[in-house]
Amino acid sequence: MQGSSEGQLQIRLITKQQIHAVPDVPLSVPQAIDTKSLNELVNQLLRESNPDQLKSVEFDFLAIGELLRVPLIEHLQERNVSTETTVEVEYIERTPAPEPKDSLLHDDWVCGIESSDKWILTGCYDNSVNIWTTHGKIVTSLKEHKNIVKAVSWIDKTDAGKGFISVSHDLTGIIWTYEAGTDSVTPKAILRGHERGIDTVGISPNSSRIATGGWDTNLKLWSTSLEDDGSEHIHKKSRSSNTVLTKTPLNTLKGHKEGISAVNWIDNYVVSTVSMDHTIKFWDAELCGIKNEIIGQKAYLSSSWSPLNNTLLASSADRHIRLYDPRSTEGSLCKTTFTSHTLWVSSVTWSNYDSNLFLSGGYDSAVKMWDTRSPKAPLYNLQGHQGQVLKVDWSNRKYMVSGGSDNSVHIFKNKHV
Amino acid sequence: MGNKREIKSSLKRNSVEEETYVNNEVESDEDDELLNVINGEDEDSSDDEANDGSENELSSEEDAGGETDEDSDENDADSEENDQESEDDDEENDSDEENESGEDDEENKNSEDDEENKSSEDDEEASKFSECSIKKTESYNGVKKLKNKNKLVPSKKLPAVTKSDEYEEFDSSDEEDIRNTVGNIPMNWYDEYKHLGYDWDGNKIIRPETGDQLDAFLKRMEDPDFWRTVKDPQTGQNVVLSEEDINLIKRIKAQKIPDETFDEYAPWIEWFTSEVEQMPLRKFPEHKRSFLPSKHEARKVSKLVHALKMGWIKTMAEAEKLRAKKEPQFYMLWQTDDKAEEMRRIYNHISAPKRLLPGHAESYNPPPEYLFDEKELKQWNKLKNAPWKRKLHFIPEKYDSLRKVPAYPRFIKERFLRCLDLYLCPRAIKMKLNIEPESLVPKLPSPKDLQPFPTVLAIEYKGHTDMVRSISTDKTGQYLLSGSDDCTIKIWEVNTGRCLKTIKTDSVVRSVEWCPNAALSLVLVASGQEVMLINPNVGDFLVNSKTDAVLQEVPKSDVVVPDRVRTTIQWSEPDSEQHQRGVRLILKHFKDVSQVTWHGKGDYFATVMPDGQNRSVLISQISRRRSQLPFTKSKGLVQYVLFHPTKPFLFVATQRHVRIYDLVKQTLLKKLLTNSKWISCMAIHPLGDNLLVGTYDRKMLWFDLDLSTKPYQTLRLHGTAVRGVAFHKHYPLFASGSDDRSLIVSHGMVYNDLLQNPLIVPLKRLQDHEAFNDFGIFGVVFHPLQPWVFSSGADGTIKLYNN
Repeated sequence: MQGSSEGQLQIRLITKQQIHAVPDVPLSVPQAIDTKSLNELVNQLLRESNPDQLKSVEFDFLAIGELLRVPLIEHLQERNVSTETTVEVEYIERTPAPEPKDSLLHDDWVCGIESSDKWILTGCYDNSVNIWTTHGKIVTSLKEHKNIVKAVSWIDKTDAGKGFISVSHDLTGIIWTYEAGTDSVTPKAILRGHERGIDTVGISPNSSRIATGGWDTNLKLWSTSLEDDGSEHIHKKSRSSNTVLTKTPLNTLKGHKEGISAVNWIDNYVVSTVSMDHTIKFWDAELCGIKNEIIGQKAYLSSSWSPLNNTLLASSADRHIRLYDPRSTEGSLCKTTFTSHTLWVSSVTWSNYDSNLFLSGGYDSAVKMWDTRSPKAPLYNLQGHQGQVLKVDWSNRKYMVSGGSDNSVHIFKNKHV
Repeated sequence: MGNKREIKSSLKRNSVEEETYVNNEVESDEDDELLNVINGEDEDSSDDEANDGSENELSSEEDAGGETDEDSDENDADSEENDQESEDDDEENDSDEENESGEDDEENKNSEDDEENKSSEDDEEASKFSECSIKKTESYNGVKKLKNKNKLVPSKKLPAVTKSDEYEEFDSSDEEDIRNTVGNIPMNWYDEYKHLGYDWDGNKIIRPETGDQLDAFLKRMEDPDFWRTVKDPQTGQNVVLSEEDINLIKRIKAQKIPDETFDEYAPWIEWFTSEVEQMPLRKFPEHKRSFLPSKHEARKVSKLVHALKMGWIKTMAEAEKLRAKKEPQFYMLWQTDDKAEEMRRIYNHISAPKRLLPGHAESYNPPPEYLFDEKELKQWNKLKNAPWKRKLHFIPEKYDSLRKVPAYPRFIKERFLRCLDLYLCPRAIKMKLNIEPESLVPKLPSPKDLQPFPTVLAIEYKGHTDMVRSISTDKTGQYLLSGSDDCTIKIWEVNTGRCLKTIKTDSVVRSVEWCPNAALSLVLVASGQEVMLINPNVGDFLVNSKTDAVLQEVPKSDVVVPDRVRTTIQWSEPDSEQHQRGVRLILKHFKDVSQVTWHGKGDYFATVMPDGQNRSVLISQISRRRSQLPFTKSKGLVQYVLFHPTKPFLFVATQRHVRIYDLVKQTLLKKLLTNSKWISCMAIHPLGDNLLVGTYDRKMLWFDLDLSTKPYQTLRLHGTAVRGVAFHKHYPLFASGSDDRSLIVSHGMVYNDLLQNPLIVPLKRLQDHEAFNDFGIFGVVFHPLQPWVFSSGADGTIKLYNN
């Protein structure tokens, strides 16, 4: 690390992963050192301290809280940080690149996806709801809806046996029961109450409540219980042997001026919605009122709430993904803007195990894997889609699933398990 | 002095006599010499002189009283002679003749003749001459003078004597010199002569004989006055200085005041002191005016005060202040630097343009590259008949030195041609305005401050195979309707670009519009001669079914449809196949329908058949399934009709004019003059006071209906025909699409304040459509809620631009 003509920088390498710890001494490195050289340096240090380690580990480096993507000096200069002092460079094991695993072909555009541990649920523009195994085998295709199925959701992501919900532009949602492994899927209840197409559905963390939102601008809360809770009388469906319960919303929360494009449960009692009317609203599901409101600049298309870091990701009708911290009291609520997509970002979703990782899909047919510490460039571009990406899902940590207007669902295997 | 004058005058009068006298004297001088020689060796030069003088002296003595000499024994003989002579002068000429020798006699006789003629004057003259002689003797012989004085005092017979006394008092050296009449000249001029000058009588003053060394020595030894004897250069005589003279010289030498009597230590009398004296210095009293203020001065002071008041003069302090305030003043030598001096003879004279300075080719010794080679010379010669085509009007020539350059033969001719040019081409002042192009552009706010407006292409709606002529959105902005030349209408999901429905029609779709009534799920489609009401079956199925139900039941009307209407339009139910497609009602027109438009409430709609003559505009009502022909007369080729958003007004655009009709009162409200050839489309501001008209001649006209019937602003933003214009319902935006494939989004702010004119700022040109058959963009529609704009193009695509 000596003898370079340009200036040297004092860095201290730190890590939170104890197995990769190196001696905590300041090092002098060339200013223009990049990730690759730092990697070599750390691996060399590791080998020195632990001769048994043979396999080199790929690391990513964080300086001033952001991932290093350019030479260190440029990174520091961009953030107006003095190069005189010792720079703390944290290194983390690099998130390994996802591996394309499978492609599930549909008959039409896929706009609703959710995966559970073994199954992948998709909603399709051909009015069908499909269940696939994670290995790419179709289990069943259900054509109960009369219009495009906009969103699907497992009632319990860890237990597919509890059934799932699909919502559609035919103004209804259906609660299905599913016996895992078999194709015996039965609609159990129809959610009636929306006046326009339903665009989004969300299940509360305790799987007891459903929130739906759509073009009629109303947020409706439903119960997941399939018992006749006395709200409506049972409406027999002629073509189904089983009786289908018709459910009406427990609550209708009015407040948005335009269509609701995404619903997220924050905890069991709070729902967040993003809407085309440029607002993000937080609703109290118990008191049925607006708790909080964030007014943005653009129409929102999707959102995702992470219970790990209590922040909301929202994508709007432009190229950016915005990270909102609704609790922050100072400065703007928008903490970070992630820009890499070239067209609208149709869908974002947090990873459910790492508070820094999330996935996004856009109309530029790109699926991107992001680290929140790197707002300018994503970690990986997951390629494969031919048309617009309409929905991405990462509810099963092993699989990143995306569906789009090329009638296919792409599954990427997450190596970072 | 008066005497002197007299003498002179007498001299003039008797010039002849004087000559004779002179002659006399010369002769007498000669006689004297002879006498001197006779008198013997004892007499020194001084004696001789004394002799000369003695003549006069004696005569004067005789004048004084004719008394005898007592003093000098030495000059006895001489004196006797002199006495005689003087007697001649003084007394009768007759007696002179007797005493003198024969020669003298002859002379005297001549003089006698003259003198006899003027005998009366002679007396006077004689006396004067005597006076002069007395003076002269006094000058050179002080001692004798004193003696003479003593002698003269007693005798006061003649006035001449008293006069001589006077002269003695004012004895001066000047008068001594007078004896020699040559004047104040360097005496060495007379070095070569025997004489030193002339005395008053005109006789030569003979240079006195200078004794030899021995004489000088003897004199020194013998003469006790030798030390005070000096030589008079004028006369060459020795003068013995008197005691007074010696004293004088001594005092001067001792640097004392020459006047002995002056007491330099006399007590100081302070005449003018500051102390007030008891008695005045002067004996007369002070004048009255010395006690009164001076009127003259007062007048002067008042003049100064007035001048100060008027600011004509400044006090020192003021002047200093002014000087400090003033910048250093520079002034132009000429009137101005940049303007030609005004010529009084020629008003607004324009000076002749300057000739070009000579270049290298004109040089007498140009560099070789300027000299003509053969080819150039040939070329030059070839242009003999067209000399104005030549590059140079002369052949460059080379000379060794400037003096070898011959006279330029064409000089006169060229001067003449120049003059001719100046004469034949009158000069004129060309007024030129320098206006910065920037200053002509009105000040508009920056587009950045006018956000949001659509800037980026977001979604393309692909699916149509031919030109998409018309687009429309539903009220929520969820769906988009498009009608195309491929005989289909399509319904799109706005947010995803998904085509949800495609409905085939029988003919080219020229115009589509979504029903503004949210309770009805209906779209109006103009396809060929038919206008169809189609239920697109998207959105709320309740509304869809309700719409179907409403359209199902035919309202009963007992009104007889007039023939004119019946021949124009026929309402008909669709067949089952059409019903399947969603068609709910078909209105068959008698001509091709180019445009349909809904009234804001969604019950009425208007259709346009440009070829329909006086039946070209038709207003139909769905609820009553009735049509009306509002116009009985054709005012021209109707291009476009529009309903006012709130009032029952109908805007009808013919080729050149837009007419506004009140449908309730059935009157023409206004006629807007577009000043363009062919109107293509119109859009009305949601508030209803501003109308935007697009024309095929590339213009967009913004009419402020409250302001005037002429366009408030004419926008020439497009290069070719404008085919679609649209206002946004909420945002202050309007957009226009044209055949040059560009969609231009502009800011069009309409203020509630009636006094403030609308603000129009072109914001963004979006050019993504492809040209097809020389067509670019047909339909322009804004998203009803978002600041997004849709454009449909001849290339079969619809594009959505977002902010």
